This record gives sequence, C-alpha cells and structure tokens, in this order.
Amino acid sequence: MNAAGALFALLTLTLVKATPLIYAALGGVLSERSGVVNIGLEGILTAGAFFAVVGSAATGSPLAGVAAGIVAGALLAVILAFAATRLGVDQIVAGTGLNIVALGGAAYGLLLIFGQPGASREVPSLGTTGERVLTLLAFVLTALLWFALFRTPWGLRVRSCGENPRAAEIAGIDALQTRFWAVVIGGAIASLGGVYLSLAELDLYSDGMTAGRGYIALAAVIFGRWNPWGALGAAVFFGFFAALQYTLQRAGIPSELMQALPYVAALVALAGFAGRVRAPAADGVPFER
Amino acid sequence: MQRTLRDLLIALVVVFGVGSAAMLIAHASPIAGFGALLDGALGNASEFAETLLQTTALLFPALGIALAFRAGLFNIGAEGQIVLGGMTAGILGVALPLPGLVLIPLVLAGAACAGGLWGGLAGFLKARFGANEVISTLMLNTVALLLATYLIGGPFKQPGAGASETPQLPAAAWLPVLIPNTRLSVSFLLALLLAGALWYVFGRTVFGYELRAAGEAPEAARRAGIDLGRTALTAMTLSGAIAGLGGATIVMGVLHRFNTGLSPGYGFIAIAVALVGNLDPLFIILAAFGFGILQSGSIAMQAEANVPRDVVTLIEGLVIIALAGRRFVAQRRTS
Repeated sequence: MNAAGALFALLTLTLVKATPLIYAALGGVLSERSGVVNIGLEGILTAGAFFAVVGSAATGSPLAGVAAGIVAGALLAVILAFAATRLGVDQIVAGTGLNIVALGGAAYGLLLIFGQPGASREVPSLGTTGERVLTLLAFVLTALLWFALFRTPWGLRVRSCGENPRAAEIAGIDALQTRFWAVVIGGAIASLGGVYLSLAELDLYSDGMTAGRGYIALAAVIFGRWNPWGALGAAVFFGFFAALQYTLQRAGIPSELMQALPYVAALVALAGFAGRVRAPAADGVPFER
Repeated sequence: MQRTLRDLLIALVVVFGVGSAAMLIAHASPIAGFGALLDGALGNASEFAETLLQTTALLFPALGIALAFRAGLFNIGAEGQIVLGGMTAGILGVALPLPGLVLIPLVLAGAACAGGLWGGLAGFLKARFGANEVISTLMLNTVALLLATYLIGGPFKQPGAGASETPQLPAAAWLPVLIPNTRLSVSFLLALLLAGALWYVFGRTVFGYELRAAGEAPEAARRAGIDLGRTALTAMTLSGAIAGLGGATIVMGVLHRFNTGLSPGYGFIAIAVALVGNLDPLFIILAAFGFGILQSGSIAMQAEANVPRDVVTLIEGLVIIALAGRRFVAQRRTS
C-alpha cells in the first residue's frame, strides 16, 4: 500500500473509531450543560448496543434495532435523570451504578434472549451504507445540538440550569424538569454510539464491546470545553489514536501498549486541560427546591 | 446508626424486589431462586468457606474505596489496582527464591506498592493538575489491564507461563489455608484485621480526622491548615494499596498464580459494599458478607433455578444508585 493509501485508510478508520465517541460525548455535553454529570455514558452505550441487536433479531429489521437501542438508552438515562432531579443523589455515584446495571443487565439478557453467554448471534445489520449514514449523522447532530444549545430559548434554559439553577427557577424555568429532559435526550443521543458499535461496525453484541468508550467520551466533553463542536474535535482526536494503534501494530509495537494509546491520550488531555477550562458552574451539583 | 439501618433496608428491598422480578422474567419462582442462592452460599462448610472467600475479595477494595470516599474522593479505579497488585504478587512470588516467612510479607508489600502507585497516580493528577479522579481512575483501569497483559506476556514472561497468566507460585508463597479442604486462606483474617485497623484510624487518629475534614468541609479544612492536595495524594495512594493487597491475596490464596481475569469486577461491586456499609469499616464487613452471599450463591442459582447469575451484577448496580443519596464527593469535578 502506498503512503497516500495508508493515510486514507488511517483517516477512514479514525472516523469509524470516532463515531461512537462523538455520540457519547454529545450526550455528555447536553447532560452536563444542564448540570447533571453522566458517568453512566458507558452503560448507555452498552444498553444501546445490546437492545439494537435484540430489536434487529426480533423483527429482522436493523432500523427497528436502531429504534430499540435509542429507546433503551433513553430509558436507562431516565433512571439517572430521576435519581438526579427528584432524589438529589450524588450523580457520580449513581452514574457508576448505572454502568454496573447495564453490564449485568446485558449479560443477563444475553443468556435469557440468545441463550448463550459472551456474545449474541449475528443479526441483520445496517451494513456499510448504514455505517456511513451514522457517521454523517454524528456530524449533523453536532451542528444541531450546537444550534439548539446556543441559538434557541431551550438551549438558554438548559445552560442556565447548568450555571445557576436557582436563578433559573426565579426566572420561571422549571430547573428539575429541564435537567430531567436534558439527561434523557442526552441518553438517547449517546445510545446511538452503542447502536453504531453493534449494528454498523459489527452485526452482533458481545460482552465488553463498549470497552470504556463512555469514559473516553467523558474526557472528550472536558477536552471539548462542554461545546458540541469541541467534543466532536476531541472525539476525532481520540478516535485518531484508536485508529493509529492498528497502523503502528503492523510496525511491530506490542498491541496492548497500542490499545492503551487512546486512554493514555485522554489521561494526558485531562491533566493538561483541567484547571484551564471552566465547567458549567452547577455541573454535578444536585438542585433541590 | 439510623442512617445505616435505613440504607440496609433500602438495599434489602432492592435485592429482593429486583431479584424476584428478574427471576420471574426468567420463568423461575423467586422462592426457588433465592432458596438456591442461599443454599448455594451457606448450605455446607465448603460453600460457607467459598462465601467467606468472596467476602474477603470484596472487603479489601471496599475498605480502600471507603477510605478515599471519606476524603471526598471517588476511587473507581479499584479494579485496576487489584489487577496490578495481583500481577506484582504473581511476578514476585515466582521470581524470589525465599522461605515463606520472608517471602509472603515481601510479596504482599510489593503488591500494596503497585496498587498504591496506581491509586497515587490518580491522586497526583488530582493534586497537581486538578484532574478529576473519577475519570482518571476509569482510564487507569483499562490501562492497568493492558499493561498487565503486556508485562506478563512480554518483559516478565516466565518459563511455564500460559496465555495471560503467570506460572504457578511456589508453595512458599501460598497463603496458609484457614479451613482445611477449602480455598479459604488466612487472607480473610488479614482483611478483618485491616478493617479493625481502619476503624481505629478513621475514628481515633488525627489522620482520620483530616480525611473527614477534607471530605466533608474542604474549604474549612484548608483554612485550618490541612493540605488538601497532600491529603488527596495520600488517600488515593492508601486506597490503591489496600485494593492492590486484595489482588495479591486472590493470587496467593486462591488462584496460586496471576491471571488477568482474576477479578470479575470486585473493584466495582466493592463500591456497593462500601456504600451499604456507610463507609464504616465494621459495617463494611457485614456488607461484604452480604454481597459475598450474592456472589457465591449466584452460581447455584443459575444451575438450579435457571436464573442467569449476572442478575446479581444488575442488582448490585441498582443498590449503588439507591444509596447514592448522600453527597459523597464533596470536591468539585474540575478546578
């Protein structure tokens, strides 16, 4: 393969690896802009990936699978949204619980629905066209979310709840409800990342297939300064490192060290960026009336 | 006390409520399911020993997590710290030709250092750069597993090693068995001792007070002259060391070799254990026993009542969400 071909392959793979990260990071941006930290992104990816496969297996239609994955991700987010807005819980602890629920739930469901542990059978997938459409949609959604957050009254309400929910309430905004829906819609967006993993990149669900992408997405949210375009840029950056491992692996560098690359990159970015960026002022702070 | 009882009640409602629902979905009667679970965990001496073994495996990381929580830090990295502690034990145990009396303490200390280093790294990133420890420990979990896989398959590969594991440890490095003909080793007593020691440290020492002050009122603690950065570094290092110790006891007491799959998520389940135990080391012992029953009985539940054992993981996650009601992480995410 010539140099241009290799570069093209690397960039294509970067987009493939970045797409699920973009969706998860966009979900994180929306949620955190409203003041709710969503550590449960990993679990939402898992739910999206698993139920997309279940939906496709049950109906034979991958599009129904996409819908099932989105609904599952949104429903999982409802648990966090409810706990965060109505129970005033520690969002980070609850989000961690969400990841464990999804992990156990998917493994339980695998045995129950597919009768086998580890992985599901192959199901009708979205194919190459669907893969490309989903990647394109990630960019479109980024633009839409940016517009919604920064150019619409709804976005202003969401952001004001993330900065100062008490002031927002005085201005007549229902901060709890605004946060609730931001988390749920964020969950629906993030779940598309899981759908991409199981129905577009592959055609089955396997345990652990999300492989910490939800956590990298959390770093992408910070790295992207809580801005959809910034989050997209960070996701592409981490996606590049994930893609790079395949190129460098062929150069004889041990594969485990290469697989660690995106995580190390995220750690370095986290350390380098923390303190120099400002989170929404009420991000992660429970609000009670 | 009242809080602890309330939390315990919530946990029990979640366990039995969600457990029953999950069993009904799997077409099993909850009575048969929970019966099989309890019988499988406590039915005879060897099953009871297996439950205590699970209790031990959860107790170490839960104590570490509780220590960090007390300082207002959320260590989700126990899983990676367990892996690196276990790996260090697996490598040192085979490499050092020493008699057991010297070897065992040395290997345990080495494992604690490895876990401490990994936890301390997150503490350092927090203290020096303000990097949020939640996200950094999550990253470090994955890096730890990859690093361990690389090290034992590459630079530290020893003759007789299988894929993703070290060769068997010499008998000198095995922890003595506590109940004959079972896999339960003295690590159980070690974990109890540690819990007792931490109970003393948390409640009766200046360091314990500083941890709590930093966790519950960081601004007041800072004004009172407590170095928050140093506290974060110390707490995360100790937290990691305790989890690493737990990994070593699995290697030296149960598997007698290091395997990259030595922990089926103990580091995460231990979060639920620490929360149910309300961060109090003595209650954490009881909580670890309760979750030990779930862990060890779930195999029998799957075999006899046809309920997928992973439902236990789902329940543990829900317990965490249900008990997240208190502000544990006092310090701000970034800044």
